[in-house]
Amino acid sequence: MDGDGQNYSVFNSRMLVDTVGDITDDALKASRIKDVIGVLVGRVFNWSQRKSLFPLHLGIKCCALEMAAAGASRFDAERFGVFFRSSPRQCDVLLVNGPISKKFADPIVRLWEQMPEPKWCIAMGECAISGGPYFQSYNILEGVDTVIPVDVYIPGCPPRPEALIDGFDKLRQKIIRIGAAPDDGAPESKNPIIVGDD
Amino acid sequence: MGKIVSASSQKAAAESMASALSSMDGVSAEVSERTSGTNPRNVVSVDCASDNWRQLAECLRVEHGVDYCSMITGIHWPEGGAEKNWEVVYHFMRMGISNPPVVDGMVQPIITDPTTLEGTDVPLEIEVRIALPETTDPKVASVQDIWVGADWNEKETWDLVGIDFEGHVGMRRVLQPHETPVGFHPLQKQHKLRYHDFEEMYDDAQGFLRKPSDAGKIK
Amino acid sequence: MTHGLWTLKIKVDGETVVDTEPDLGYIHRGVEKICEARDFTQITTYCDRLCYASANTWSHSYIYAVEDLLEVEVPERAEYIRLIAVELQRIASHLMWLGAYGPDIGNLSVMVWCLREREMMMDLLQELGGSRMHYNFPRVGGVKRDLPHGFAQRARAKVSLFLNRIQEYEALFDESTIFLIRTQGVGYSKAEEMVNHGVTGPNLRAGGVNYDVRTSHPYSVYSELDWEVPVERPSVKGADCYDRYRIRVEEMRVSAMMVLEALEKIPRGADTYHEPGDPALIAKAPSRAPEGASGSHHFEDSRGESMFYLAGGGEARGKNPYRVSIRSPMFITIPYASKCMVGYKVADIPAIMGSFDPCIGETDR
Repeated sequence: MDGDGQNYSVFNSRMLVDTVGDITDDALKASRIKDVIGVLVGRVFNWSQRKSLFPLHLGIKCCALEMAAAGASRFDAERFGVFFRSSPRQCDVLLVNGPISKKFADPIVRLWEQMPEPKWCIAMGECAISGGPYFQSYNILEGVDTVIPVDVYIPGCPPRPEALIDGFDKLRQKIIRIGAAPDDGAPESKNPIIVGDD
Repeated sequence: MGKIVSASSQKAAAESMASALSSMDGVSAEVSERTSGTNPRNVVSVDCASDNWRQLAECLRVEHGVDYCSMITGIHWPEGGAEKNWEVVYHFMRMGISNPPVVDGMVQPIITDPTTLEGTDVPLEIEVRIALPETTDPKVASVQDIWVGADWNEKETWDLVGIDFEGHVGMRRVLQPHETPVGFHPLQKQHKLRYHDFEEMYDDAQGFLRKPSDAGKIK
Repeated sequence: MTHGLWTLKIKVDGETVVDTEPDLGYIHRGVEKICEARDFTQITTYCDRLCYASANTWSHSYIYAVEDLLEVEVPERAEYIRLIAVELQRIASHLMWLGAYGPDIGNLSVMVWCLREREMMMDLLQELGGSRMHYNFPRVGGVKRDLPHGFAQRARAKVSLFLNRIQEYEALFDESTIFLIRTQGVGYSKAEEMVNHGVTGPNLRAGGVNYDVRTSHPYSVYSELDWEVPVERPSVKGADCYDRYRIRVEEMRVSAMMVLEALEKIPRGADTYHEPGDPALIAKAPSRAPEGASGSHHFEDSRGESMFYLAGGGEARGKNPYRVSIRSPMFITIPYASKCMVGYKVADIPAIMGSFDPCIGETDR
């Protein structure tokens, strides 16, 4: 730890790590190796991210049963790399599958913030898109995109499991277009994609 | 054939209970026959004044063996006039269930033949209506200690409609968030739904004017 | 995930649970308030979404209450078709429960097995209702469409196959030592206590008493079919999780037999097809309810006794109800189930909670 009597404390120091890191970074930038590595590794990362989207194992309402059916043996989302994880720290995708009530608005934002970058959000079902049949309710937010930025909307009440798998496919295409990290200076528009648009 | 409780024995039991209850003051009971798909069913329908409610509740529990509180509904009638501005409707059932007997250390499941039930064993449905006059804080006596099933039902009625239950221990919000402002009970008629008067089909078919009232929250 | 979205606060002493408090309301949608601005037919769509695992039972429960309010008599063929839909839905709901209970205990493979069976039932329900999950199936006064062509043949084949598959599930669970250890002796509940709290349905029948709304407050054509209310024989201390598991397997069997029998006994046969709107399928019903009228109905939902209370005379001169009040069995059972957990270990909580089959959609309304 930070004992004064240790001989190798200088190698553990934060300052050393930062300095070495800065020097290396400048060298790589100057010799353009960083760009090459960025392109190659970026492509590999992009490929691996879009081929293995891990959604959060969160079921809010009815669409959760269709999500479960999509993961079951008939529709089998797992063959596309979609594997549900229980902890938000290990997920890429937040699949919002139900209406967000005022009580749940805070927890879902907290779940979203706990997910590490790069992350995406899929709004599944009418309730998550716009409040759905409960748009007049006193307790339901009009769509999860009032609190979280959404990438793909999947309409349906509930959407069939095939539609959910198509939604993951659209997200996959979006990841190709905008790159691995969403702030990577995407050239094209960042409009969300609606399943069934083409 | 599947065995069911016969309608005649249910009607007889309902009538005997209704006549027994009508003899209490402040209470008027009658048997109403309801349609139920293809079978009619008989319900004991009781109108009670709110001062006599506690006494009626104890009588139902002790003398008539009503052991199951099914639902408590609160209704707000703003145009009901001075007499019936609020209404609390209780639904009870008499199930007549006791723990299955134990013989020689083995439990014998109670398999009753529904066609043979008579008298006070017949399952019955009881509906009690209490009309409250016009007031800003409607109150009814709580029956939390008589039927445990009334506990959460009363909490929900207070949470959504605003009818207070005197003597209820641990009243709190159960369905709405805990931070809901005090005095906000959404099922009262003065609270309108979102887009209440907005005829979307005619005024704004494509939804351009419609903005979510939660817009502007953090993104 | 499949049991619903709620919080259970527990107070523990080491590993033993000392006190519990459930915290609901995360998907409270205010359905009772929204229904005051909808027609009677439009509310059926909301009732499907109350308990989404068991949508048909809730929409039928609502429609019977509307028929009580508007005083409509339903033709017999429609009652049989409704019965078939409700019992198929009950099977599907119990399969979803079993598919979620296995992972609660630790057996993940049964989830995939049960969902496979549930897909079979959902195919049949899709033929009747049009969609996989929310069917909006019954109409005030009857049903909209008749049984599709060939439905009886497909239903018989699938339900008979399902009756064989139940034996596979029993073999999987009853011979699994881990399952037996985790569910037997856990979560005792006595019948009288349950009635006092307001618990009904399979949870109560697991306690050794044959109380069923279908026989005690009869409705529909259950009296025409030859069936017995499934009852469990609990242990001396009460019904434990194993009893509640067994009662649901028995209920699935009874429901499957009822579907097969109803297909035999339906008036004019299951293969005749009537056009939509035929008086054999639907009776003419008024669309407005007068002020002061009220209707209520008890119904045997997959989880207990559900009830709707409707007060007539709302907006649009009676086309909308003035008040819709929904009685959800799970709203009452969840506090009771939380009390059942006191005295057991933290690891027993999913077993006990799952065995009561919570569905938060109907709890939060």
